[in-house]
Amino acid sequence: MFIKHETIEKNAVLLMVLTTITVAIGGIVEVVPLFTIETTVEKVEGVRPYSPLELAGRDIYVREGCYTCHSQQIRALKDEVERYGHYSLAAESMYDRPFQWGSKRNGPDLARVGGKYSNDWHYAHLINPQSMVPESLMPRYAFLANREVNVAKVARAVRANKTVGTPYSEEQVANVAADLAAQADPNADPEALAKRYPKAVQVPGDGRRVTELDALVAYLQVLGTMVDFTNPANEKLQQ
Amino acid sequence: MHEQTSDLVVGLLVLILGLVGLVMASGALDHAMYVFGLSLAGFAVVFDMGLVKRYFDRQDAARQEGGHV
Amino acid sequence: MSDLAIGAAFPVARPVARAAEAYNMDVVKKFTIAAMFWAVVALLLGVVLALQLAWPVFNLGLEWTAFGRLRPVHTSAAIFAFGGSALFATSFYIVQRTCHARLFGGEALANFIFWGYQFFIVMAALSYVMGFSQGQEYAEPEWHLDIFLTIIWVSYGVAFIGTIFLRKEPHIYVANWFFLAFIITVAVLHLGNNVALPASFFEAKSYSVYSGVQNAMIQWWYGHNAVGFFLTAAFLGMMYYFIPKQAGRPVYSYRLSVVHFWSLIFMYIWAGPHHLHYTALPDWAQTLGMVFSIILWMPSWGGMINGLMTLSGAWDKLRTDPGLRFSVTAVGFYGMSTFEGPMMSIKVVNGLAHYTDWVVGHVHSGALGWVAFISFGAIYYLVPVLWNRSRLYSAKLVAWHYWVATLGIVLYITSMWVAGIMQGLMWRAYDKFGFLQYSFAESVNAMHPYYVIRMMGGVLFLAGALMMVFNLIMTVRSASTAVQPARETAAAGA
Repeated sequence: MFIKHETIEKNAVLLMVLTTITVAIGGIVEVVPLFTIETTVEKVEGVRPYSPLELAGRDIYVREGCYTCHSQQIRALKDEVERYGHYSLAAESMYDRPFQWGSKRNGPDLARVGGKYSNDWHYAHLINPQSMVPESLMPRYAFLANREVNVAKVARAVRANKTVGTPYSEEQVANVAADLAAQADPNADPEALAKRYPKAVQVPGDGRRVTELDALVAYLQVLGTMVDFTNPANEKLQQ
Repeated sequence: MHEQTSDLVVGLLVLILGLVGLVMASGALDHAMYVFGLSLAGFAVVFDMGLVKRYFDRQDAARQEGGHV
Repeated sequence: MSDLAIGAAFPVARPVARAAEAYNMDVVKKFTIAAMFWAVVALLLGVVLALQLAWPVFNLGLEWTAFGRLRPVHTSAAIFAFGGSALFATSFYIVQRTCHARLFGGEALANFIFWGYQFFIVMAALSYVMGFSQGQEYAEPEWHLDIFLTIIWVSYGVAFIGTIFLRKEPHIYVANWFFLAFIITVAVLHLGNNVALPASFFEAKSYSVYSGVQNAMIQWWYGHNAVGFFLTAAFLGMMYYFIPKQAGRPVYSYRLSVVHFWSLIFMYIWAGPHHLHYTALPDWAQTLGMVFSIILWMPSWGGMINGLMTLSGAWDKLRTDPGLRFSVTAVGFYGMSTFEGPMMSIKVVNGLAHYTDWVVGHVHSGALGWVAFISFGAIYYLVPVLWNRSRLYSAKLVAWHYWVATLGIVLYITSMWVAGIMQGLMWRAYDKFGFLQYSFAESVNAMHPYYVIRMMGGVLFLAGALMMVFNLIMTVRSASTAVQPARETAAAGA
């Protein structure tokens, strides 16, 4: 069988072609079906694209490397479900670019952190984590409170996400600035926002400008809340 | 001969990269792109000047050798 | 000719009397220096991160120095800057020596690869600190840097493969198979994983065309094979040249190298899903990943056996050649982590280990024990050869480096084993009433002593690297290409 190996190792082109084929097989078999098998991402009611403010917050989450310490993936294990909530569904991260499942928990999982704490808690915690959790190893993110969200940048982000396949409607794209302002102002009328982005949480900005801290809190508050697990339509997803 | 072809191809490639860097820096919408574009242009200038220097160094060396022989 | 011995086809241990000028050793020297520079940077950053996890005050309250931004700088500096530079240096050295040909593409191409790669590293590090990241581990550079790296990588491929075509030996030496597989596969992985749309041409922010579960699968197809091909296959190439050189013996088994080469590159690609056990990734993919990860144990140990058995009959050299000691210990650590890895990929074990510091310990036994040690061994061999010195400045200092670094690794991985298993057990512990026994914060608190020990392990490893830098600088600065027989150095064999 190995007699012929001499042929391969005397021919650089042959060696390279065979190597390429050899390394291609595994990737093709594991990746391609994920795009073609429909049950890979089961249809679940409630999952929607991120609101402009949430998306801005998500980009800050990525920028600060939060994924280096926090996972966003509750595994189907008894203790994890009891600690963090229902195990994560594929559909819940279907609009996540990039996915932020993470691989290390220096801090707790955040897949369902939305609604667990008040807005005020999040503001205080991000500014000084140790004031809320003395054991915490988390760095302080007080500087986010002094940085304004760039609306034009968020508009470009929404458009880019739409181009690569996130189903933002024309209406959503047209109202980025309005929705962004409304979500960061507790006095704004939430009706239009709630119609376009159900369950979006309004955060108590200072009313004059939208800060990166507002955006990050809005993102954290929506994590894991889009799917209603008490809804009987989602019953079959329970183990 | 071989070295000269290499100088030319690589030199042109780097020149193009440097120009792209200038374009990126000129329209940059954030700090990262501005810094990257300018640095790329700077990299291209320094690298291509290095190629020129090496070319003349080689010429000098060849001339000296020729002189001795 | 089925049993053709490598040693017969390739005079690996024979002194090559050809003029050194025929080869481009300038680029090898540059990459060797870069490798040592980045090793110190990467290790220093590692110590800083370890300090931050032990005492969060070391985040300094600044956005640029927070753990989340520095961690990619550490991993990129270790894998791509240090590991990459070491691989460029050794692969360019090996391909020229084993092909008896000068590096293809001339000085300009070699210089472009060197300076372009260094430029990429600096720009990537700067962009992470400034807050630009794709948010996928080991693939953090944003789109514009990805494109730039692609250009560098293609240039590398041209130079390396071009040299193979110029070879004066009919056979391609086994080390070069591994380097070829590394160059091709890393290109495929890099292009496959980084398909992203920039928010605008003038903005360093992009969005992946993949999302959610597909994004996860493709990321770990990339991520695990960054380990498999960047940190394993390519460093095996290094092993297949330098261990026979240092030991003065041919490779133990030609057959084994053929079998383990093809099986290793075939199976590694499948192993990615073991990073995603019990997640929303479909079960069939998780199972495939687990099965192949376990089978992967065999080709991995094939490589280890081939490396270690090459020393049969030459074990006494370990006493006199401290550089060889690094290479051999590296192969030992390789064997250990390639046993630990398949074990951790078993779903029930992974259920405990995943998300904990056990994984961090596993990675570092590979990164420090295998990657760094095999590179150190090669560089200790290379520097006297490249700079025409008969021996290293101090063999004693190499021995000190060896023991200090080994102690550092032992502290690191044992503390992480304890920390990781403890974390995993605390997260799943129930009290007698059936409630979860510990809050997450309690598990964080319990880690403190182990994080301090880990930090000290890192300091030791860094101290060893600094000894090495000093030793190498003194070697280069020593005037002699002296006549003294180089009894204690690896150069004796060359």
